Amino acid sequence: MNTVVYSARRILTMNPNQPFATHVAVRDGRILGAGSIESLKGWGRFELDDRFAGKVILPGFVEGHSHAYEGGVWKFPYVGYFDRTSPDGTRSSGLKSIDEVVATLQAYERTMPRDGSTLLAWGFDPIYFGGRRMDLADLDEVSTARPVVVLHSNLHVLNANTPVFAKAGITRHTNVHGVVKDERGEPSGELQENTAKFMAYRAAGVELSTLLSDGAATWGFAKVAQLAGVTTATDLHNTLPESTVAAYLEASASVDFPLRLLPAFAAFSMSPDDGIARLRELAKKNSERLRFQLVKIITDGSIQGLSARMRWPGYYDGTLNGVWNVGPDEIDRLLLAYHRAGFQVHIHTNGDQASEVAIEAVERALATAPRWDHRHTLQHAQMADAGQFRRMKALGMCANLFTNHLFYWGDVHYAKTLGPERAERMNACGTALHLGVPFAIHCDAPVTPIGPLFTAWCAVNRLTATGRTLGEAEKISVAHALHAITLGAAYTLKLDEELGSIDVGKRADFAILDDDPLAVAPVKLKDIGIWGTMLGGRIFEAPRT
Amino acid sequence: MGNDARRPHLRSPEDVTTPIPFTVIGGFLGAGKTTLLNRLLTGATGRKLAVLINDFGALDIDGELVAAHGGDTIALSNGCLCCTIGDSLVETLLTLLERPEQLDHIVVEASGVADPGRIADLAMLEPRLARDGVIVVVDSGDVQQRAVDRRVGDTVMRQLKAADLLVLNKIDLARDPTAVRTWLAGQATAPIVEAQYGDVPAALLFGLDQLGTTHPGGEAENFRSWSYRWSGPVDRAALLAMLTETSTDVLRAKGIVRFSDSADRRSIIHMVGRRIDVSEDGPWRGDAESRLVLLGARSVLHFLERE
Repeated sequence: MNTVVYSARRILTMNPNQPFATHVAVRDGRILGAGSIESLKGWGRFELDDRFAGKVILPGFVEGHSHAYEGGVWKFPYVGYFDRTSPDGTRSSGLKSIDEVVATLQAYERTMPRDGSTLLAWGFDPIYFGGRRMDLADLDEVSTARPVVVLHSNLHVLNANTPVFAKAGITRHTNVHGVVKDERGEPSGELQENTAKFMAYRAAGVELSTLLSDGAATWGFAKVAQLAGVTTATDLHNTLPESTVAAYLEASASVDFPLRLLPAFAAFSMSPDDGIARLRELAKKNSERLRFQLVKIITDGSIQGLSARMRWPGYYDGTLNGVWNVGPDEIDRLLLAYHRAGFQVHIHTNGDQASEVAIEAVERALATAPRWDHRHTLQHAQMADAGQFRRMKALGMCANLFTNHLFYWGDVHYAKTLGPERAERMNACGTALHLGVPFAIHCDAPVTPIGPLFTAWCAVNRLTATGRTLGEAEKISVAHALHAITLGAAYTLKLDEELGSIDVGKRADFAILDDDPLAVAPVKLKDIGIWGTMLGGRIFEAPRT
Repeated sequence: MGNDARRPHLRSPEDVTTPIPFTVIGGFLGAGKTTLLNRLLTGATGRKLAVLINDFGALDIDGELVAAHGGDTIALSNGCLCCTIGDSLVETLLTLLERPEQLDHIVVEASGVADPGRIADLAMLEPRLARDGVIVVVDSGDVQQRAVDRRVGDTVMRQLKAADLLVLNKIDLARDPTAVRTWLAGQATAPIVEAQYGDVPAALLFGLDQLGTTHPGGEAENFRSWSYRWSGPVDRAALLAMLTETSTDVLRAKGIVRFSDSADRRSIIHMVGRRIDVSEDGPWRGDAESRLVLLGARSVLHFLERE
């Protein structure tokens, strides 16, 4: 029984009985106690470790809404607008024009073997390029000898070069929704719908879901999370085919795997009877670092993709209402089945009509099958208003708000999709806090980068990419934001008794920071360096660049 | 690749690469899509169908008819296949196309909120498929109410407008069948077929595969098929005008025609409901007689006889 006491500049525990400490004792991967060195002496012999004496220790961050694809995308070059860190700690600079994207891809292309293999890139986002879109000619400049496919950051749109279009047989005569045409009626190079995209992938020989969820991707995801101080993260929508389950089991069996991973089963991928049986079977394989327990239902699309389901008055720019992925009656059917079976259900709702439908589905499920402490959680709930939060509170629901949107798409929401009023109040952390709805905040990686301190910074400062403040009244304090990325997120995953705070008996999962989030200026919160993490008592230092 | 030529829609033994007709059955939850599919799968249509559905649980297939049940695919003793769609329709469909079985027709059940027109787009992109029809099943009892529901009204309207052919189902349950029919005709341009328990003639859904032979009265009592033959070239505009004009009553048409403006090549006419496709096929071989078969409501035949 080996006990190690770690000293720190300061420990923020999230335990109200003792919010701050200087020392934490760890035994058998768990927290034996926190306090002063004097208060810990009573536990008997220990080894004192001062390596974190200059650091600040927090509970390991909990990312309640991410996707393990984040680990897979890094096999391919990143061509996004904003800087981004890869699993090995290297920083890719953001590309500020289509010409820069083309130049970066040309340089990458020259390093590839001359075998006609596909060049796939990801993270592209043209919203700050003054309306200019990427076209066929741009990517033909990269290569016409191999397929070139560029996936946009929203994962809903892609661009490809002429060889891909030729092989897929997409021409000016292809009158299919999602094949964008230019003013001459020729395909522009952009494909927007699943059907068209899938054909391009096939023409390019890309099996995206396989590429993004193998063993290497699983490890990549854990590493990129670790770099951000995350010790527990969800893969919040997965059909869980055997190959993915095998990759998760193998990776998480290693004590060097630096993450507790929670995949959420995609409820719509099979009938509830089969799904419940499958999930119960999978739960038997649960371990310290892998938990099958969550269920996900995706109701609508995205706000920036103009596919969210909106209540009146709808989109600010007059775009028609979005689409249901799973419609109101089906939401009831799926939710009730998993609710009855005792599972916690996470429901993706971006638009406020989707939130309304989901809340009412929970209300009906509870009337049919009363159940305490279900913690069904609205994921995103970006447009939820005070009335909806009141109903969520009354029903025992949680919310996981997408505060990163305020920065990445806030300007677009203000000007185009939602208009000023609804953009100001979106991702309403202040309202959730005030009304007592348990909530977390999230990144939805790889849609935006995983980084809970950045996500907390968004909740605290509510700044857009161009520097506009959205919703003074919805700002929350740094302390509340830190709660949301630790214990608050753990609560939405039903892990709050096991982790999320530094308290006796909990897992020794820590985020180890260079500076004190409560001492720096709130606007600097995102800039605090992350030394690494501890997971179950094992130390994982982040590589530094 | 990058072949612009429109693909022929008719299967013939000399052309093994002929694409498989692809039909999408849309309609809101509860409209009767599964009942209709159940009938097709278990009825003796003589065709090897593959039906892609959302959930086996909703199907009601006699156990004796099941030849093999392999997870997400059921093989029936009549040669039909039934697959669950799972997470990705496109992937399921491509897997199906890799199977060794010769299929005569592929039918997809769209989810209750899907736009079936978008699903039919698949056949425009996949050379092994030929877009057949988008058939939208409508529940006579509740469609008007659904259409004004603030949550699903726009979804229902999108489906109605995407239809090539509307099946007004559960007509026996409608309080005022005429009123529903009139309302529906005002919402969408597709012809309307009334049905109970999804009982519509298979030929209406799957086409008229025996060109040139006709069996008046052989179909359900309200439907008849009718065939035309012309030995000389046919005027394109006149024929298309006739089809367009009658498209509320002629529900399906299929033909190989020698048009006067393209007399050396076979033109293929394929019509499902309001949608008329004309495509160029190869040169005429031997018999140069134009043939056209129509299926429609009994009432229309009087009109055709006048022509």
